[in-house]
Amino acid sequence: MKKNGVKMIKINSKNVDVFYGKKQALFNINLDIEENQVTALIGPSGCGKSTFLRCLNRMNDVIDICRVKGQIIINDFDINDKSCDVVRLREKIGMVFQKPNPFPKTIYENISYGPTIHGMAQSKNEMDEIVENSLKKAALWEEVKDRLHEPGTGLSGGQQQRLCIARAISVKPEVILMDEPCSALDPIATAQIEELIDELKKDHTIIIVTHSMAQAARVSQNTGFFHLGELIEHGSTDKIFKNPENKRTQDYITGRFG
Amino acid sequence: MNLVIFIFIVLLGFTSYYFGRKKAYSIQATNTRLTALPQFYGYYLAIWCAIPAFIIYSLWAIFEPSIVKLIILSDYSNQGYLDDELNLIYEKTKSLSRGQFSGEITTYLETSAEKYLNLRSIAQNSKVVLILAIIIASIVYGYKRISSNNRTREPVEKFLNAVLFTASLAAILTTIGIVFSLIFQTIDFFKVIPLFDFIFGTHWYPAKAFVRDASEPLDPSMYSDTFGAVPIFAGTFFIALIAMCVAIPIGLMSGIYLAEYASTKVRQYAKPLIEILAGIPTVVYGFFAALTVGPFLKDIGTAMGLEVSAESALAAGGVMGIMIIPFISSLSDDVITSVPQSLRDGSYAMGATKSETIKKVIFPAALPGIVGSILLGVSRAVGETMIVVMASGLAANLTFNPLESTSTITAQIVVILIGDQAFGDPKTQAAFALGMTLFLVTLSLNIFALRVVKKYREKYE
Repeated sequence: MKKNGVKMIKINSKNVDVFYGKKQALFNINLDIEENQVTALIGPSGCGKSTFLRCLNRMNDVIDICRVKGQIIINDFDINDKSCDVVRLREKIGMVFQKPNPFPKTIYENISYGPTIHGMAQSKNEMDEIVENSLKKAALWEEVKDRLHEPGTGLSGGQQQRLCIARAISVKPEVILMDEPCSALDPIATAQIEELIDELKKDHTIIIVTHSMAQAARVSQNTGFFHLGELIEHGSTDKIFKNPENKRTQDYITGRFG
Repeated sequence: MNLVIFIFIVLLGFTSYYFGRKKAYSIQATNTRLTALPQFYGYYLAIWCAIPAFIIYSLWAIFEPSIVKLIILSDYSNQGYLDDELNLIYEKTKSLSRGQFSGEITTYLETSAEKYLNLRSIAQNSKVVLILAIIIASIVYGYKRISSNNRTREPVEKFLNAVLFTASLAAILTTIGIVFSLIFQTIDFFKVIPLFDFIFGTHWYPAKAFVRDASEPLDPSMYSDTFGAVPIFAGTFFIALIAMCVAIPIGLMSGIYLAEYASTKVRQYAKPLIEILAGIPTVVYGFFAALTVGPFLKDIGTAMGLEVSAESALAAGGVMGIMIIPFISSLSDDVITSVPQSLRDGSYAMGATKSETIKKVIFPAALPGIVGSILLGVSRAVGETMIVVMASGLAANLTFNPLESTSTITAQIVVILIGDQAFGDPKTQAAFALGMTLFLVTLSLNIFALRVVKKYREKYE
């Protein structure tokens, strides 16, 4: 999306280094993420793309030995700064994981979890509305509206993943991070999620890590290629896939290694 | 002699293992493919050697005494003796044959004793001969059966299967045996003491039953107001309640701390330290409660102007609670740690704080296991004996004042069964009735616990 012909940058990362203990996992990453676009991060396993994704909502804090250096600026604010409130940050930046991880609660409680802890609903009606809207946006409402008070773990894998997406969007995040959201799903469920991603980019900026070249090509507008902890190349998906500058990018995309 | 036979059979078993394997090797040496590894042939022969011999040996051991007895007593038949008198004669004969008889020796007894010794030596000799014959026969049979196309692995594995089955059967049969021994004595008890009096009576004073002269006929009316179990049921649950009030909060909180907040280093040292508590013998807790905590509480109480018994329910329950802490903390720590990291990640990614994550996601997910650990703790508290006996006194007061002394089911069983007991006496049988009650309570607790756990599992998995 462009405003006055200028691309709006949502996230701006500068010189990001990540260390696990003494081992450096990411080297000097500089990547700008455009607002209301889908950015795909591709690369072979262990290249650091998931690590980078987890930097963006500071999920790496959970790992004791992980240290992050550099600046990640979201809305003119460095999230690695000490003054950053992680709770507020994660409210603004949602995340969907590789394996569907619904809470062992009912479908309704899964969605109402975020709004409750952030005090977003003043009444039961308001909460009902949030739950309904989130499920509708995640294209799950029709399938579950009659069993909102049954456990979320009873849904199929694809439904569970859409439930997790609904859970993520329930707090109206500006950015949604997706870490290989379809890798545990069958092709039909994958197609549904991909359609959903396209829908969601109207309201959210989306960053998706994927192992599937085809998926990156289908859903994303921008692509970043990671290799051995470095960001080798990034740009519009069209350019990366049709006319990559770097030899390694070309090799990976054409399947010569990876 | 029996030991010699036993050792002989075992040694022969080892030898036949060696020979069986050797034969297998020699078959292998002729370039014939065996159906099993050579050692199976060894096991096969060893089993053939030892098992028939052991079976005959134990059958002999079971039937020999009664057959000997039958032969000895056949001399006394048709003389109008009662069964009890015949038994007495037989016992006298046995002790006379051992030279330990001190009563009046009659010629009848002397002949019987001689005959007894004679029979025993015949039996002993024929046993040795029979067993030797059987061992030789079965080894020969087994050895002949060893050939390249005869299977040995399957019979050996079947045999091992049977051994394992017997082992598990032993535990089950013991449980059934215990239950039955409880049931019959309990039924006898309730023939004398009405069930209603036992369950609803509020006066427990088994010492009263001591005064009965055993030669007098049983008069149920003298036991009215003796075996009313309400005070000790109440005492049991009261002390268990105090114990759980201490153990559940402290145990759960330390479990949560260890699982979620403690750094790896703290956890590494703190967990074994807490588990040391579980290794302290309960008798040590008992005198800690009786000699340290009890007097301490009494001093504090006196200073505050309260009447505190030196043997108080509070001291016993409190120390019991401390004893149960490691069960609850260690088990709930394990359960919480086993909640998948993906659930934590999911919650953190929603912007939840650590405490919100624990309260709203991890704790509910771990609840079945936590309930299980708590009920295990309750079972321990209800069944705990030593601390109560030492620290809370033996008088069955019906009280809910934690500062007074009270008694529990287990402590009363100890009181009843310490020292000399008369079998068939209601006082002794009362212990069985109490044991049965305790068994039923813990059984229903366990069944309830399994139900709860299962219900949550079905809901969330």
